[in-house]
Amino acid sequence: MNEVAAPTQHAALAARVSEACSQAGLVGEPHAEALAALEAIDYPTTRQERWRYTRVARFLEVAPSAPADLTAPPAVVGNLEALRFTFVAGQYINGDVLDEGADGCFAGPVSLALERYPERLKGWSKSDFSTREWFAALQASAPQDGVCILVPEGKSLPRPVLAHHHMPDGVHVSQPRDLIHIGNNAAAEAILWSDNAAQSAGMLNAAITASVGDGASLSLEIVQDEPGSVHHMGHHHFTQGSNSKLTLRTATACAHWLRNDLHIVQDGTHADSTFHGCYLPNGRQFVDHHTRIDHAHPDGQSNELYKGLAADKSTAVFNGKIMVHKDAQRIEAYQSNSNLLLGEQASMYSKPELEIYADDVRCSHGCTTGQFDKEALFYLRSRGMTETAAHNLLVQAFLAEVLNGFRPEIRDHVHAVFSRRLGWN
Amino acid sequence: MLKIDNLHAQIGDTEILKGLSLELGAGEVHAIMGPNGSGKSTLASILAGREDYEVTQGSITFDGVDLLELDATERAVAGIFLAFQYPVEIPGVSNINFLRTALNSIREQREEAPLSGKDFLAKVKACAQLVELDGKLRDRSVNEGFSGGEKKRNEVFQMAMLEPKLAVLDETDSGLDIDALRIVAHGVNSMRGADRSFLVITHYQRLLDHIVPDFVHVLAGGRIVHSGGKELALELEEKGYDWIVDAQATEQA
Ligand SMILES: Nc1ncnc2c1ncn2[C@@H]1O[C@H](COP(=O)(O)OP(=O)(O)OP(=O)(O)O)[C@@H](O)[C@H]1O
Ligand SMILES: [Mg+2]
Repeated sequence: MNEVAAPTQHAALAARVSEACSQAGLVGEPHAEALAALEAIDYPTTRQERWRYTRVARFLEVAPSAPADLTAPPAVVGNLEALRFTFVAGQYINGDVLDEGADGCFAGPVSLALERYPERLKGWSKSDFSTREWFAALQASAPQDGVCILVPEGKSLPRPVLAHHHMPDGVHVSQPRDLIHIGNNAAAEAILWSDNAAQSAGMLNAAITASVGDGASLSLEIVQDEPGSVHHMGHHHFTQGSNSKLTLRTATACAHWLRNDLHIVQDGTHADSTFHGCYLPNGRQFVDHHTRIDHAHPDGQSNELYKGLAADKSTAVFNGKIMVHKDAQRIEAYQSNSNLLLGEQASMYSKPELEIYADDVRCSHGCTTGQFDKEALFYLRSRGMTETAAHNLLVQAFLAEVLNGFRPEIRDHVHAVFSRRLGWN
Repeated sequence: MLKIDNLHAQIGDTEILKGLSLELGAGEVHAIMGPNGSGKSTLASILAGREDYEVTQGSITFDGVDLLELDATERAVAGIFLAFQYPVEIPGVSNINFLRTALNSIREQREEAPLSGKDFLAKVKACAQLVELDGKLRDRSVNEGFSGGEKKRNEVFQMAMLEPKLAVLDETDSGLDIDALRIVAHGVNSMRGADRSFLVITHYQRLLDHIVPDFVHVLAGGRIVHSGGKELALELEEKGYDWIVDAQATEQA
C-alpha cells in the first residue's frame, strides 16, 4: 500500500466512523478479521449485482457532529409488558436487566454481559457478514452497544425483551450490535425497535446476530420507525440448529433510506424458518430488503412473505435468495413478494433468486407488482367510499397478511404510522 | 325521480346503448328484461358510474341532478345503489369493516355525524336478519369464497344497510335457490316505500311473482323496445322476445 496516497473516500468515512464510535465508547474489541476485511473489500457500487439499485454514495458524506444528547427517548408501545432496554446512538441508557447467574438467562446490554460473562460471549462479534460486506466489516471494526439475550439450554425468558435503539437530533453515527443466543430446547421472544428524532441524520449501521440452538425457538419482531433522515444499513444474521424454529417479522414502518440484509442459515436438519416483512416508502424514500436463506441440511422448511407498496417518487427493492445445498434433500421453501405501485414515478425492483443443488426439494416463489384492482375500486366507490377511503382499505387489506402476524400492540402502532404517513385518517 | 333520455353509450368503438329512454317515478318498481348481451348490465353500470363506458349522447337526470356529472362515489352519496350481477371479491377486507367504512364515508359526505358503534351494530343485526345472512359471512372478507347465492344475499344486505333512493338490481335472482329467492324478495319488498324506487333486471318471470313490478320493459339492441304492466313478464315467459324484436324491426323498416 502506498503510504503517501490520499485515503480513498470510503477509507476516510471508515476513519470518521471509527473515531466517532471510539469517542462515544466501543463495546468489546474491534474484530481483527473485520478490520482486515474492511481494507480488502471494495466499497459497494451499483455495478455489483447485490447493489444494483442501492446507491450508497451518500454515506460518504456522513460527517458526525458533536456527541449525541443521551436523554432517554419516550417509551414505545407503552402498553406492552416487556423487559425494556434503551440505547441512544449506540450507548446503553437504562433497562430492566435480568441476570439469573452463570447458568441462567441474561438480558441486558452487551457491555454488561461482556463484563459479567466474557466466556459466554466468546466470538460474539463475529458474523458472516463482517468479512463479506464492507458496511458489516465497518460495524464490526467499531462495535457499539446493543441488547444481549442469552437463554441457556432448556430455559425460556419470563417475558419478551424489547430493545429500543434511538438516534437523537443532529448528525450522528451509531453502530450497535444486538446479540441473541438461544441454547438447545430454549425459547425467547424479542422486539428490536429502532427509531429516531425528526431532525436526526447521519448513519445507523446496525447488526443483529442470533443463533437458535437445536430444538429451540426464537420469535423476533423488528420494527423500524425512523422519520428522520438517517441512512440505515442493517445486517441481520441468524443461524439455526436442528428442529429449531425461527419466526422473524420485520416492519419498515418509516425510513428515509434503509437497507436490510437478512441472512438465515439452517445449520441442522428439520429447521423451520418463517420470515415476513412489510415496507411502504413514499415521498423520495428508499427501502431495500435483501434476504437470503441457506438450506444446508435436509428436511428444513422456510416460508418467506414480503409485501410492500411504493408511493410517490419512492423506490422499493426486494431481493430474495434461496440457496438449497447439495445434501439438503426434502426441504420445502416458499417465497412470495408482492408489491403495489402507487404513482407513476414510484419504482419497484423485485427479484427472486433460486439456487438449488439438491434434487428432491419443493420450492416455489412468486413476485408480483401491480396496481389497485380496478374492479374492487369501483365496487368500493359504488358503496360511497371516496377514492382515498377505498385506496386505504385496499392497502390495509393488502398488508394485513403480514401485519396481522405481529403482536397486536405492534401491529396497531405500525398501522397507525402507515395511516399517518399516507394520510389514511 | 330518474329520467333517462335518448342515451347512447359505447365501449371502445362498440356502441352498446343506442338511444335508450326510460322514466322511473318515486316509489315505483320497474323490471327490465331482455336477451343476453342486449345492454342491461351496461345500463346498470352506467347508472352506478362505471368509467369504462363513454356516453356519447343523451342525458340522465336523478332528482333533478345531471347524473353524468357525478362520479361513482357521488352517485352513491346521492342515493344510487347497484347490486352487481357479479359482486367483486375483496380479500383482506372484512364485510363489516367494509360496510362501516362505506356507511360513514357516505354520512361524512352528507355532513352527517358518523354512526356510533352501537347503532351500527344494531343496524347490521337488523339488516342481516332481513335477508337471513349467516353471521359468519359478516366477518369474512367481502364476497371472498362466498357461494353464488351468498354473494347475491350480501348485495341485498348491503342495500338494506345503505338505504338507497334508487336500487338497481342486476340479476340478483340468478344463482338463488327457491328459498333464497323468497328471502331476497322479502328483503326487497320490505324496503319498498314512497321514496324508494327499484330497477330490477332479470331473466325470469319467477322473481316478479315475488317482487311485483309496476312496469316491465324489454331492452333489446341497446334500446327499450317495449313496455307494459306486470302481465308483460308472463307473456315474455311464454313467447320469448322474438315477436317484440321482430315487430320492432318491421316498424323501423
Ligand atoms: N368491457 C366490454 N368490452 C367489450 N364489450 C363489452 C364490454 N362490456 C359489455 N360489452 C358488450 O356489450 C354488450 C352488452 O353487454 P351487457 O353486459 O350489458 O349485456 P346484458 O344485457 O347484461 O347481458 P346478460 O343478460 O348476459 O347479462 C355485450 O355484447 C357485451 O359483450
Ligand atoms: Mg347482464
